[in-house]
Amino acid sequence: MSKYPSYMKRYFIRLMIFISLYMAILIGGLSWMNSINPPDDPIPSVLALLTALPILGVFWTIFRLLVEIDDEYQRFLMTKQIVIGTAMTLAITTVWQFLNAYDVLLQGPQWIGVIWLAMFGIAGGLVRWKA
Amino acid sequence: MKNRLKVLRAERDWSQADLAGHLGVSRQSINAIETGKYDPSLPLAFKISDLFDLTIEQVFLRS
Repeated sequence: MSKYPSYMKRYFIRLMIFISLYMAILIGGLSWMNSINPPDDPIPSVLALLTALPILGVFWTIFRLLVEIDDEYQRFLMTKQIVIGTAMTLAITTVWQFLNAYDVLLQGPQWIGVIWLAMFGIAGGLVRWKA
Repeated sequence: MKNRLKVLRAERDWSQADLAGHLGVSRQSINAIETGKYDPSLPLAFKISDLFDLTIEQVFLRS
């Protein structure tokens, strides 16, 4: 019997595709933009959108996994992981936002998607620890 | 919810992985059900009891 169920194989393949695309677009986009310095107006916007798209793909991959898991206990763990990851992200960004509102920090919450992905990873460890 | 899954499995000399294979779920799921960490849905409970040729009440006990 295969080590990973089919839904996990699809998850890993999709994840690898979107992360590879992200790396290629990010590195290629930044290199290209620097080579035509200063770029014309629509180019930075187009590159920004193109770079964001694979990250949206990563989010889609995670939520698609939730739909495709045919093992109800694993789906329960995954749901817990998403909820805890989201709660931790909200806690961090709320505190960060108020630190900014009271002028403790110069900038408000940034890179919220990246924070969510990091918290999703941490939540995965917490949820599966002794699960 | 308590259950007799571990006993029923032992009677057939099945490992958790064997039972998981029969039910099409992960070994982790069987462990979670056996240890009472997770109560299965009604469809899975029926599937488990059907596999052992028992009724749900003979597999799962009222706490």
